[in-house]
Amino acid sequence: MTIIGTTSTSNFYATAAEQLASLQSQASAISTSISSGNQFTSASQAPAAAAQMRMLQLQDSQATVDTASANKATANLQLADSVMGQMINDINQARTLTNQAATGTVSDKERASIGTQLAQIQGDLFNLANSRDSNGNALFGGGVKGNAYARDAAGNLSYVGAATSQALPIGGGQTVQSSMTGPEVLNITDAHGNATNLIDALGALATALKAGGAAAQTAAQDGLTTLANGLDATTTAQTVVGSREAWIALSMENQTAQSTARATEESQVGDTDVSKAAIKLQQLTTALQASQSCFVRLSGLSLFNIIGTN
Amino acid sequence: MTSNLLSIGASGAMAAEVALNLTGQNITNASTDGYVRRSANTVEVASASSWSVANDLSLSGVTVTGITRNADTFLEAEARRTASDTARANSTVAGLTDIESAVENSGVFTAIGNFQNALTALNQNPTATSLRAGVIQSGTTMASAFQIAGQGMSATRTGLQVELGQGLAQVNTLATQLASINNRMSASAGSATAASNVTTGDRANLMDQRDSLLNQIGQFANLATTINPDGSANVNLGGVSGPPLVSGVTANTLASTTNANGTMALAIGTAPVSLSGGTLAGNQAALVKLDQISTNLDTLATGIVTTVNTRQAAGVNLAGTTGAALFAGTTAATMVMTTSSGSAIATATAGSGAASADTTNLIGLNNALTLIDPSGTMNSLLTDISGAVQSAKTTQATLRTLSGAAASSLSAEAGVDLNAEAVNLVKFQQAFQASGKVMQVAHDIFTSILNLH
Repeated sequence: MTIIGTTSTSNFYATAAEQLASLQSQASAISTSISSGNQFTSASQAPAAAAQMRMLQLQDSQATVDTASANKATANLQLADSVMGQMINDINQARTLTNQAATGTVSDKERASIGTQLAQIQGDLFNLANSRDSNGNALFGGGVKGNAYARDAAGNLSYVGAATSQALPIGGGQTVQSSMTGPEVLNITDAHGNATNLIDALGALATALKAGGAAAQTAAQDGLTTLANGLDATTTAQTVVGSREAWIALSMENQTAQSTARATEESQVGDTDVSKAAIKLQQLTTALQASQSCFVRLSGLSLFNIIGTN
Repeated sequence: MTSNLLSIGASGAMAAEVALNLTGQNITNASTDGYVRRSANTVEVASASSWSVANDLSLSGVTVTGITRNADTFLEAEARRTASDTARANSTVAGLTDIESAVENSGVFTAIGNFQNALTALNQNPTATSLRAGVIQSGTTMASAFQIAGQGMSATRTGLQVELGQGLAQVNTLATQLASINNRMSASAGSATAASNVTTGDRANLMDQRDSLLNQIGQFANLATTINPDGSANVNLGGVSGPPLVSGVTANTLASTTNANGTMALAIGTAPVSLSGGTLAGNQAALVKLDQISTNLDTLATGIVTTVNTRQAAGVNLAGTTGAALFAGTTAATMVMTTSSGSAIATATAGSGAASADTTNLIGLNNALTLIDPSGTMNSLLTDISGAVQSAKTTQATLRTLSGAAASSLSAEAGVDLNAEAVNLVKFQQAFQASGKVMQVAHDIFTSILNLH
């Protein structure tokens, strides 16, 4: 009689133990991925997917900052928009008054009174130009602390803000300026083509009207042109601000779409496909049970059991 | 008839008894590590009658000439080689996994992203204390993350070096033991030849020990063995052309030197040893990878420190003075944030006054950081190490299969199968009983002759 030994007893047990342990650990890995919801527990399971996930999550956190920046920019632009709206109201009121002053039927006294009203409007415009943004800094001063405009002893205006308004990155390599600078809104040319600003020009007009005489009517007529220029400049600035707001809204829509796409991708790359995993777990459990049953039967197959009973 | 039936029966009973003893020995050592199944080598005792009648045979039964040790040197060498490869793969995977977790769990990647995000957010209001504090906070977190990664790697390096040192000590101890076994092998050699598997019980035991020692050394380093005619084994480390670790009764000492970059080199005397198998080779490979990852991480940390500090010097802080360095340190482990005051961040361009809302320098810093792309660099560093772990694991799985197969075929050849031994037990028991019967028949014949009267 020949015995063909396929394996030794100790090897049989060692192999069985290894196989059962391997099935057990696979089943446990799947169970972990189902309960945690993550397909992978360490990066080395899928280095490429892990790298992708890291970058997606980084973009997610960048998007949070970008959204905050965009909201900030929108808030400041809306403030600028509304302040400029008030400026336009003031300018229109000043135009109506100047129109009256320009007619020949108005007395010097009435002109002086109009001049006083214009001086009031000038003060109002000065205050509006020194409005604060949502951070409490100069709205038309490029974000500097305090005022955008200062007045010297003679009452002349000087711009003390930053040369450009604050640029905020809003994601995707885009930046947006969150307001306008004072000169962008208020710098104009007067009737004689000299560079000045609306507030100083209004101040000069008010002084001229108060002074009275023939020069006052001429000044009022010139003032109409100057105010028309001022209205132009402010309206243009308001349009620019409006289009920036629209640009941010568009950019945010784009960001939202990207963020949704990222979420989908993250889910595809990193999340456990529960139904697939559950089926795999079922398959492994069946294999494990079968292997255990096989092991018990095979290990019970010893000749010694039979030899002993005979 | 010159043969003696009684002595034939007795020789058969004795041979069966030896075989039964060996079967018992096999059964009891079924789980003994390194035990090779033995069987009795029996030969017929018969000689031609020289003087009485031509062609007559003198039958004298059976004798046990020695013990057959069922070892196949090729299978043994193959099992040792593949086990050595698997040991290397196991220790490589373990070492690389340690490095991976040291780098990944430190959270450097997230911290870099948060630092950059905090700098971007500072654009919203460059003079705001809360946003500036956010930058300082995330900068400090990033520096600590780098420190944790650096220290984790340095701990991993120490761990690997200690492990390698312990393995080295084990190899030297095993080599000494093998030299002593070699000594006893030579002493008990007699006329034995290496080619023959038939030997005495003592020598079979020595051979088991010899092979077991070779296997144990193989776990630490790949080796080439030469079995001498007297049964002693010569061992060359790292392959046939490597320097000798054990030559006859002489055991040489394997020593290690630590290089400046933390990697370790092995040598016997002045001869360098380059290993391709065993845990020592795995440790060496992990140390080389660790050095690379650690250098890359240090470069990244230094890059961030230099970039931030250079931009700082180009701008003015909230107080209107030139920005001082925000970070210090030349390695990941030594990176620290040198200030805790948010006003130290130089957001405005040089020449701006105090509390300037100018963000030129901040934008410059953001752009400079984007240019060196620390997140991308860290991401590829992480991908590098996790890719290395993954590929090492794939290699490990392949080598495990190979060594498992080699161990199985060796085991089928040399290991004990209890079912086969059960059959042997019955077979030799019957042989013993049959020999007894032969003796009884001889006795009966004698008795019947003696009873003739």
